[in-house]
Amino acid sequence: MQTSAARKTFAVLNNLLLITLALTMVIPLLNVLAVSFTTDLESYENVIKLFPRQPSVEGYVTLFQRVAILRPFMNNVFVTVVGTFLHVVFCSMAGYVLVREKFPGKVLLVILVTIPMMIPFEMIIIPVYVTVKRLGLMDTLWAIVVIGVVSTFSILLMRNYFQGIPRSLEESATIDGAGEFTVFFRIYLPLAKPGLATITIFQFVSKWNHILPAVLFLNSAEKYTLQVALKSLVISQELTSTTQSVANNARMGGIVIAIIPLILLYVFAQKYFIKGIMIGAVKE
Amino acid sequence: MNRRTKTLQRIFRARILYLLLLPALLYFFIFAYFPTIDGVRISFLDFRFIGENRFIGFENYRQAMHTAGFWQAFKNTVVIGLCNVILTAFVPMLLALLLNEVRRKAWKRISQTVLYMPHLFSWVIVGGIWIFMLSPNAGLVNVIRDFFGLESIYFMSKEAYARAIMIGVNLWKQAGFVTILYLAAIAGINPELYLAAMIDGAGGFKRALYITLPELMSTLRVVLLLNIMGALRMFNQIWVMRNEVIAPKIDVLMYYVYERGLVQFKIGYAAAISVLIFVLTLVITLISNRFIKYRV
Repeated sequence: MQTSAARKTFAVLNNLLLITLALTMVIPLLNVLAVSFTTDLESYENVIKLFPRQPSVEGYVTLFQRVAILRPFMNNVFVTVVGTFLHVVFCSMAGYVLVREKFPGKVLLVILVTIPMMIPFEMIIIPVYVTVKRLGLMDTLWAIVVIGVVSTFSILLMRNYFQGIPRSLEESATIDGAGEFTVFFRIYLPLAKPGLATITIFQFVSKWNHILPAVLFLNSAEKYTLQVALKSLVISQELTSTTQSVANNARMGGIVIAIIPLILLYVFAQKYFIKGIMIGAVKE
Repeated sequence: MNRRTKTLQRIFRARILYLLLLPALLYFFIFAYFPTIDGVRISFLDFRFIGENRFIGFENYRQAMHTAGFWQAFKNTVVIGLCNVILTAFVPMLLALLLNEVRRKAWKRISQTVLYMPHLFSWVIVGGIWIFMLSPNAGLVNVIRDFFGLESIYFMSKEAYARAIMIGVNLWKQAGFVTILYLAAIAGINPELYLAAMIDGAGGFKRALYITLPELMSTLRVVLLLNIMGALRMFNQIWVMRNEVIAPKIDVLMYYVYERGLVQFKIGYAAAISVLIFVLTLVITLISNRFIKYRV
């Protein structure tokens, strides 16, 4: 009897704790959303705001007209879409080669593809900066596209998916005279769809959120991608001056438009997120 | 002779495979292997983009050893990093154990989903949200303080809070992700173990202590390794959340490299520090790999 009472107490306390924690995630987000829809004046009121009192799009008007956020937003769409597409193509091609039976130089090539996992981008920013400058890619969106366009992690993940495909399928195709390209595009790629979905999603998120490459390689405002543009908007310069800063509603609106694509992706593709995280953890 | 033609034949037959691997190899050579070696070379130079690059031996390294800024960044990295490594390994472990006790499936899923969300957002978003939450005008934290009759604090301009804020916000962002790693490991535990324990009369607490926790140890090692790497690579959060007032407390090594190298253009000096951090990272990785292998 007593143990069941104790158990009940624990369950209640446990649920309360988890609800509190979930609220520390949800309330800031609701607050951001609410403030983004207030009027300029209301956005400075010193009250907890989970709903705007007078809903208004003033903040978004500021965002698109005065701040001209559309340009960096579209730049971000460009680098994310192109970068993710190329990433998926290159990494699945490489992953496919790794599951092929022996060919000259295979062992060496596998090693060459694996080692870069131990070279974190952050630790070679200085020489990469010099390289990008020498290649003439400085201050171009292509510099952002190309950084991270291939990763060992995605290659190995695709290899794992390809390994699960039965050999018999491709043997019958080869007898029918199918070449390497046909086997790859017609048999392997379609059967590795979950793998493709996983690397697409992860690459999409990391490209959408990229910061460091933009900090390093972009100098002119019209090339800025979303995160860099948002930083100067969102992170207020309250310490220096408030004269030309934008109101809170526009700042929070910036956060909202940067989050929306990610939330949509998360809602529609949640199972791949969880799957990818687990594979990643096992891999390490 | 015959053998050579045979090898050549095999190479020719595999030509399409080489072609498929070519983009990946090119990328790694241009953006990983070459810069790694080039970085070491640059670290020995008085590097400039125009004019001659003078070879100066270990001068850049020597200079780093004698610069207070470097040691301050080193200290900040160790202090903030260590707290991050420990907190983002053990708090999520506790969360996973607690979430695991939640009976209702739907509840469990919702809290999991919500906890994971901040991991999706960039550091600009997370930093922006928290700077706003902590701000003295209309920031949520100060509104709450106001409600209890306390004075507003401008948290982001107080050196005393700076590191704690960095560590706390990092925990807020990463905890859900790590919790899911642990939950995945818990889901993989053989249910017969729990059944046997239940037959032996072990309660929920004992089951967590004697079955779940030991089974989580290998995941814990992975998480610790991931966290250590993350601590040494830390840049984005600081770039977003720093300001001149709190900078001395939170500028970490990677930020120092960026600032010296690409803001002040002391390229050789910054390259030397990158090489030092890189070597440190490799050593730590090798040690922990060894540790992991011995224990599993």
